[in-house]
Amino acid sequence: MANLIAENLTYSYSGQGYSALDDVSVELERGTLTALVGPNGAGKSTLLRLLQGQHKPNKGQINVDGFALDNVRHHVALMPQRSLLNWSFPITVEGLVSLGRANHSKSTCCELEAALQRVGITDLAKRRLDSLSGGQQQKALLAKTLMTPAKIFLLDEPCSSLDPPTREQFLIIIRQLADSGLTLFVSSHEWGKALNAYDKVVALDKIVLAKGKPQEVQERLESISCMSNHCCA
Amino acid sequence: MSFINTNWWIIPLFITCFSGALCPAMGTVLITHKRLLQVNLISHCVLPGLALAVALGLDASIGGVISGLLGALLAEKLTNKRSENYAAVMNTILAGSLGLGIILIHLLGIRIDLEAVLFGDLLTANWGDLLRTLISFLMFVCLMIFGYDKLIYVGLDPEGADANGINVSSLNLALGVTTALVIVSSMAAVGVILVIALLSTPALMGLVQASSLRVAMIRSSIFGVVISVLGFSLAILFNLAPGPLISILCVASLALIPAERSSV
Repeated sequence: MANLIAENLTYSYSGQGYSALDDVSVELERGTLTALVGPNGAGKSTLLRLLQGQHKPNKGQINVDGFALDNVRHHVALMPQRSLLNWSFPITVEGLVSLGRANHSKSTCCELEAALQRVGITDLAKRRLDSLSGGQQQKALLAKTLMTPAKIFLLDEPCSSLDPPTREQFLIIIRQLADSGLTLFVSSHEWGKALNAYDKVVALDKIVLAKGKPQEVQERLESISCMSNHCCA
Repeated sequence: MSFINTNWWIIPLFITCFSGALCPAMGTVLITHKRLLQVNLISHCVLPGLALAVALGLDASIGGVISGLLGALLAEKLTNKRSENYAAVMNTILAGSLGLGIILIHLLGIRIDLEAVLFGDLLTANWGDLLRTLISFLMFVCLMIFGYDKLIYVGLDPEGADANGINVSSLNLALGVTTALVIVSSMAAVGVILVIALLSTPALMGLVQASSLRVAMIRSSIFGVVISVLGFSLAILFNLAPGPLISILCVASLALIPAERSSV
């Protein structure tokens, strides 16, 4: 059963004459790992921000577990692109992860420990952020996101700038999270076999080009030649 | 009281210690939030207000704080826009503000010891200067008590903080107001121009390998007090101006910062 349903979303940034998203509909089912793929500028980050409630759609609606998103925003958490964070800020990994509970009830040390354990960085808790590798920083950011009381997690290009082994390790972690009952929607530049790690795929280029199981989406997109030129290394 | 009256150096020493602790702590927050350029703008915006206040027969610092606040608002507006040329625009405005202040002093025919305003005159500091320093110190303490967690979130992830319901614009405005107060209160110690050195160098030293913003601020304040008291003592010993001497000591202290420093 879907626990997030977005229907007919249209959005344009103020001052821009064209739509960043046009009539986009997606459904996210509980406990699934869904990839959001598309070329640069396709509107992936915009869609994730709409689904988290940071932006309001010009048209369309978003429901979570049958409730309008505005009433249950805390059920949806967004992990931003790493480039948006100030990684040189003087803070330790546990300090960053604790921030996931900012504006919610205070975190306990057990919850903090659990979040660190889930992404496998317990031993890095006391390290400063800027002393970590890119992959470790991404895991710390994921742990922070997992500290929120949300059940639906939107990850904005978590694997960008990671080397292939670290990317694979990261995919294993998010697969385990989905298997534990969380709903994950991950924007990505993955293509080909890498997409088989996901349960479903949504291909976006301002409109939804295709959605469904990875194999089906890839077959559908191969018939749309322009997509294969743009998408993914 | 008579002890203070007969020992002229007591008030300047208090101001030295408070400014030496306050400016670096404030600077640490501003550097981690990447807002040091705005401090420069605010410090240059103080002069027109000072000139107008003196012309109207008001306390100079009131005018300084008001025009500094206007500078803070302008800086906030420019920062929010973040256009490609925003740094260039900001630098032009700060130069223009200084020019406006000089022109106002000339046009209004008022007498302001410009050297003391720009570069400080610690040895003639009085109770009023000490009071101003204490007020800005209290304001900073309030900001830390009520906004510390939010400052961390905004410094680390401004968009995420906004998405989590933190009013980023209000927090940045509070930061701007406190900065304006700190700059005006430091007028006696190091002047509104040289205060940049006291806001920056001890903060950079305190940030080296600091595990949290709080630790960095405490360390910065300790370094700031040491540099300020040393500058004050040397100034008395060699009969030099304390403000410029403190600034020179700040520059010399840069050599103590490790080159491979992994922070900010």
